Amino acid sequence: MTLSDFPPVAFTAMAFWAIGSLLRLSSRRRPLLAYASYGIMVAGALLLGWFIAAYWHTLERPPLRTLGETRLWYAAFIPVVGFLVELRWKIAWLKYYCMALAAFFLSINLAHPDVFDKALMPALQSAWFVPHVIVYLVGYVLLAASSAAAWHNIISVFRSGADRLGYAVSHYLALLGFVLLTFGLVFGALWAKEAWGHYWTWDPKETWAFISWLAYLGYLHLSAHGTGRDKLQWYLALSFLVLLVCWFGVNYMPSAQNSVHSYQPN
Amino acid sequence: MMKAWFGDGGFRVSAMVAVLAVTIGFAVQYMIGTGVPVFHWPYNALFVAVFAALLLVFGVLFRNNTFVLWIGGIPFGLSLIFAIAFLSLIGGVIPQDGQVAGSLPGRLGMNRIFSGWPFLLVVLLFLCNLGLSVVWKTVPFRFSNLQFMLFHGGFWIVLACGLAGASDLQRVIIPVYEGRESSRAYIPHENRMMQLPFSVFLEDFSIEEYSPQIVLYDPQNDRVMSGRQGRETEVRIGYKASWPGFQVEVLDYMPHAIPDSSGTPRRTGKSEGIPYAKVRIVAEGTRVERWLNTGSPFIRPGVVQLDRYFLVMFPGSPKVFRSGVVLTGAGGRKTVDLEVNKPAAYAGWKLYQMGYDEKAGRWSQLSLIEAVRDPWLPAVYCGFIMIMAGNALFFWKGIKRRETV
Ligand code: HEM
Repeated sequence: MTLSDFPPVAFTAMAFWAIGSLLRLSSRRRPLLAYASYGIMVAGALLLGWFIAAYWHTLERPPLRTLGETRLWYAAFIPVVGFLVELRWKIAWLKYYCMALAAFFLSINLAHPDVFDKALMPALQSAWFVPHVIVYLVGYVLLAASSAAAWHNIISVFRSGADRLGYAVSHYLALLGFVLLTFGLVFGALWAKEAWGHYWTWDPKETWAFISWLAYLGYLHLSAHGTGRDKLQWYLALSFLVLLVCWFGVNYMPSAQNSVHSYQPN
Repeated sequence: MMKAWFGDGGFRVSAMVAVLAVTIGFAVQYMIGTGVPVFHWPYNALFVAVFAALLLVFGVLFRNNTFVLWIGGIPFGLSLIFAIAFLSLIGGVIPQDGQVAGSLPGRLGMNRIFSGWPFLLVVLLFLCNLGLSVVWKTVPFRFSNLQFMLFHGGFWIVLACGLAGASDLQRVIIPVYEGRESSRAYIPHENRMMQLPFSVFLEDFSIEEYSPQIVLYDPQNDRVMSGRQGRETEVRIGYKASWPGFQVEVLDYMPHAIPDSSGTPRRTGKSEGIPYAKVRIVAEGTRVERWLNTGSPFIRPGVVQLDRYFLVMFPGSPKVFRSGVVLTGAGGRKTVDLEVNKPAAYAGWKLYQMGYDEKAGRWSQLSLIEAVRDPWLPAVYCGFIMIMAGNALFFWKGIKRRETV
C-alpha cells in the first residue's frame, strides 16, 4: 500500500461517513436502517485503520513521522470517539462533528500529499516512539472531541438552555484527554533522556506541550472549585487552540529555530 | 478583615499576589541583571529538605489558619498555574539562549526565562501551594486520597528536584577519533575543556544508510524533484520511476562497489564501497544506459545530464551510527557499542552517541560522545512514577463514572 492508493481510500471513507450520516438521519423509526447506517459509518473508520496498517507494512516503520502521517491517525480515531460517546452516553450529535473533523484532516492530506519515505532517523528508532506519539494522538483526539462538545453546548445553551448530559461529555472527554497528555509528557521526558541525555530542556515543543498541559490542569481545578459550567464550556472550547499551536504552530514561532523536534523532515 | 480577603477562596487576592510575584520577579531581574544564583550539592538538597519539612509542619499545625488555608487552596493554585503558563508562553515564543543583550527583553531575562527570578518566585509559591495541599490530603492517610497524593506529590517532587538538581547536572561532549583515546571533554555552556575520571578509546565508528534515492536535480532553482515510483519504492534491480517526458529503470544495482581501472564498478566490501546503479533512461524514442553512483570523498558522483536537469543518486539518510568504544577508569575496563537511543552507563556517568563529522558523512573518523551525570535523576524518576501511577488511577476514575458532572 503506497500513497498512490490513498485518494481512493480517503474518498471512500468520506463517502461512507456521508452516506451513513444521511441514512441515520432519515431512519427515525426504522431500526434496521439505523443499524445499517452504523455499519457504514464504522466501516469508514475501519477502512482507514486498514490503510494505516497496510501503509505501515509497506513503509517498514510506523507511519507516525510526519504531520501528514499523524493526520491519518486522527482521521481514523476521531470518529471512533464519537461512536464510543454515543455507545456510552446515548449522545448522538458528537459523532457528526467527529466525522466532519476527520474528513477535514483527510482533505488536508489530499491537498498536500506526503512524500513516500521509508527513512526513520536514528532518534526515532526507539521503543518509546509508538507509545509516546500514539498516547499524544489519542489525547489530542479526545480533547478535540471535548472542544467540539463544548462548542455544541455553547450553541445549545443559546437555543434551548443547558443540557447536563452535554456538560458531562465535554468534561469526561477533557479529563481523559488530560490523562493522556500527562502520559505523553512523561513518556516524552523518559524518551528524551534515552535519546538526548536529558529529560527536559525547555525546547519550544516541550514548552508548548507544558503550556497545553497547564491549560487543562487549569480546567480541572476550575471545575473542582465549582466554576460555572457555562463559563467552563468557553474555556474548553478555547483551550483546544493552545493545543493546536503546540501541534503545528510551534514551527512558526521565532523560538523554533533551534528546536530539536522537527516534525517535518527537511 | 483576614476572612474577607483570604477566606472562602480569595480569588482576588490570589490573582493579585500572582501578578505581584511576576512583577517583582521581573523588577529584581532587571536590577540584578543576572539569573538566580545556583546552589550545588549538598546545599540544594538541604534547601529542598528544609522546605519540605516546613511545609509539613505548617500544614499539620496550622491547618485551620485562614491564611495558611488560602496558601494551600485552589484559587491561589490556579492563579499560579496561570502565572507559570504565562511565563512559559514567553519562553515558548522568544528564542531561549538567544543573544538579545542590551534589549529590554534581554534585561528582563526573557531569553532565559526558566532560570530567571520571575519563574523562580512563582514556582516557589506554587510549591508552597502544592505542598500544603499534599500534606492535607496525606495526613491523616486515607486510601480514597491515593490518586491525589501520587499525582500532586509526584509533581511536587519532579518540580522541586528537577529545578534544585539542575545545578548538579553535568553534560559534556567528548570528541574522539577512530583509533585514539581521550579523557578530555568539552563543556558547551562554559566553553572550556575538563578532565574526565575515565577515558574513552574509539575502536570503530560506523554508519549504516538507508537505500539511496534517484531524483532529478534542477540546478537553476536548486530544487530536487522525486519521480513517480512504481510498486518498488527502494532503489534496486527493477526499480522504476518516471518524470514528465521520460522514465528510468534500474537494470543493475550494487550497494557497495568501487570502479576498476577502466571505470567499470566492481563489488567490494561494505566499508569502502558506495552504491552504483545502472539505469536505462527512456524518452521519446531515445534510450540510453548509464551508471549512476552516489559519490564519496574519493569518487566523483556519477550523474546524467538531461537538458538542463541532472539525474542523480543521493545517498540515503543515516539509519544507524555506532561507536564501538572501550572505557577505562574507576569502573574497570568495559567495551560497549553506543548508538542513538542506546546509551551506556559507566561509573555514575551515562554515555550517548551524539554526532559525528557530518561533512564527511559515512567516512567520518570523528565521533562525538556526550557524557551526562545527573545525581538527582532517581528522585525525579520517582516523581514521574508517582505521576504515572496517579494518572492511571485518574483514568480509571474517568472511565468508571458515568453519571453527570
Ligand atoms: C512534553 C515534551 C515532549 C518531549 C520531552 C518529547 C520527546 C520526544 C522525543 C525524544 C522524540 C523523538 C525525537 C525527535 O523529536 O525527533 C519525540 C518525537 C515525537 N513527538 Fe514528542 N515530545 C514531547 C512533546 C510532544 C508533543 C506535545 C507532541 C504532540 C503531537 C509530540 C509528538 C511527537 C511526534 C509526532 C514525534 C515524532 C515526529 C518526528 O520527530 O518526526 N511530542 N518526542
